[in-house]
Amino acid sequence: MPIALLSPALLMVGLLFVYPLLFSLAYAFRNEATGAWGLVNFEKAFELYSNDILYTVFILVLATVLTGLFAVAIGGYLTLGENRRTVAILRWLYRWPLFIPMVVAGQLMRTFLAKNGMLNNGLMSLGLIEPINAVSMLDWRGVVITFVWKQLPFAALLISGAMASMDRSMIESARNLGASRFHALVEIVIPQVKASIAVSLILSFVTMLSALSVPMMVIAGSPTMITVDMAWRVNSYSDYGVANALGFISCAMSGVVAWFYLRQSVREQSRIVAK
Amino acid sequence: MTEPVISIRNLRVAYGDNEVLKGIDLAIAPGSFIALLGASGCGKTTLLRTLAGFNEAAGGSILVDGKDILALAPERRGMAMVFQSYALWSHMNVAQNIGYGLKLRGISKPEIAERVTKLLAMLGLQGYEQRPVAELSGGQRQRVALGRALAVEPKILLLDEPLSNLDARIRLQMRHEIRSIQKKLGLTAILVTHDREEAMVMADQVVILDQGRIAQIGTPEEVFQRPSSPFVASFMGAENIVDCVAKRSEKGIAISVPKSQASTLECSTDAAADGACVAEDAMGEAPRPVQVHFRSESAFLSLTETAVSNALQLPGRVAQVSYLGSGYRCEIDTDCGSFFVDHPTRVSPDDVVTICIPAGALHVFRMDPARTVAARH
Repeated sequence: MPIALLSPALLMVGLLFVYPLLFSLAYAFRNEATGAWGLVNFEKAFELYSNDILYTVFILVLATVLTGLFAVAIGGYLTLGENRRTVAILRWLYRWPLFIPMVVAGQLMRTFLAKNGMLNNGLMSLGLIEPINAVSMLDWRGVVITFVWKQLPFAALLISGAMASMDRSMIESARNLGASRFHALVEIVIPQVKASIAVSLILSFVTMLSALSVPMMVIAGSPTMITVDMAWRVNSYSDYGVANALGFISCAMSGVVAWFYLRQSVREQSRIVAK
Repeated sequence: MTEPVISIRNLRVAYGDNEVLKGIDLAIAPGSFIALLGASGCGKTTLLRTLAGFNEAAGGSILVDGKDILALAPERRGMAMVFQSYALWSHMNVAQNIGYGLKLRGISKPEIAERVTKLLAMLGLQGYEQRPVAELSGGQRQRVALGRALAVEPKILLLDEPLSNLDARIRLQMRHEIRSIQKKLGLTAILVTHDREEAMVMADQVVILDQGRIAQIGTPEEVFQRPSSPFVASFMGAENIVDCVAKRSEKGIAISVPKSQASTLECSTDAAADGACVAEDAMGEAPRPVQVHFRSESAFLSLTETAVSNALQLPGRVAQVSYLGSGYRCEIDTDCGSFFVDHPTRVSPDDVVTICIPAGALHVFRMDPARTVAARH
């Protein structure tokens, strides 16, 4: 009976998600010209886009690390901050980017980070840089800034929630023994919420990995991220084989982080069972 | 007199508009063990947390060795606190938990290990250094929490209901262990508890708090035997209250019960000579309404009509009986209300009995006007 109740949902997931995913993963190994199975799409993908693959990994790792650092800093301040007014302002402010779509964030950063964009104009009007020194950040830096700006509220929301749900006396006992707020954050709070930090960063990594609009709008030219390459192969060449191979590589990247996540979850679960 | 190590002067603490501590004055002698006792919401934990620096004071001062510490951050106050939930860090083992405060003070690893080993030996936890705290029993966790606080050799130890999560048997044992460790190390300790027995067993001085104010300060004997107010008397177990009329007499005080056929009791007011404990304003030349408190275990039941001397007697009928182990607690209906009295042997419901309250068990206070109004309605 429970299976019967679940079957419509399972059918929908199977038809709309699992089948296309498996189909696309399987067809990454199929030579469309000859119909033979092999690694030819991967060979072509690495030959054309190995730089972009490394570039993507670099951007994602950097953006994830920065998101983690800033999110922990925000969560830490919201948990340990003593100035009620500043805490209230930060709590109100940090969530706003959460409500802005990725494509709008890309467009916004394009006007902000361009050579004649708001950032450079602002710095010039403050006399901090000369017009000749103005540089465009519409490259990997722009993508990293956009990703961090967009994903930070999500990660901070999860992390600060986990910090807020900690038994407050854990922090107070550390302070009472002589720990500064920084020590309490690093040595007590972060280890206690590390599972939530890992979850928020893994989900952020996967979200950034799947973003097409941001690299397309922010990076002018090559190298670029593999989502742009995938779109290019499909739209310009109808080359679904290489696009599928690049998709498979994306899945492999998220698979690596998912493996870390699952390993962590299994450890946590076995620790709970052992208790 | 010894200079107090802690002087609290007119301390006020508020949560928004709700004033929780309404002007606390308290001096604590070095090496003493103080218990802050009171019902839930009376402000005892707030007082302890304000001492530790976790609550902001709205006014007043806290002096430690003559220096005001209110502006200092919690980590700079030199006090160590044991929390009700123990607050042990599950990502650290026993040795790391105990040694954390020492690590913050920059003490070398071998010295930390040596001091942790010594502390564990003192707490009866030898060989537990590497054990994850999640694998410890409640009593062991409590010891680790105590060890962690003691490791930094604080001058002042704050204990926030440290025994409330333990089962009854371990709790009794830990009371004595904490007390003996405190004496051995010569610490000044402040305990928050709502358990009056715990406060009396452990403390030199008991501070009873009522709605953000100190209701009485005294030794356990003083607050138990000579409560200064009806609240303290009730809180210390004298919860049976008889509405009486009292006036000064030759022997000391004459107490009569208007609503009952009970005879008037004339007794001394010298508590040392088995007299009643009488508040100063409860007695005058003219008869005045008073409320008389007594404990269930201090009274007894007379099953015969024989008169008992030097005791207030209230005739009544047994309404209910429950077994306590050491005897029976009986609810007795009388003309002036229902009272609980302990009796060594079983009596049956509807038995006619007389409650006998020895003069030395009576705590006499002037009638609270609110009680008179309540009685009228």
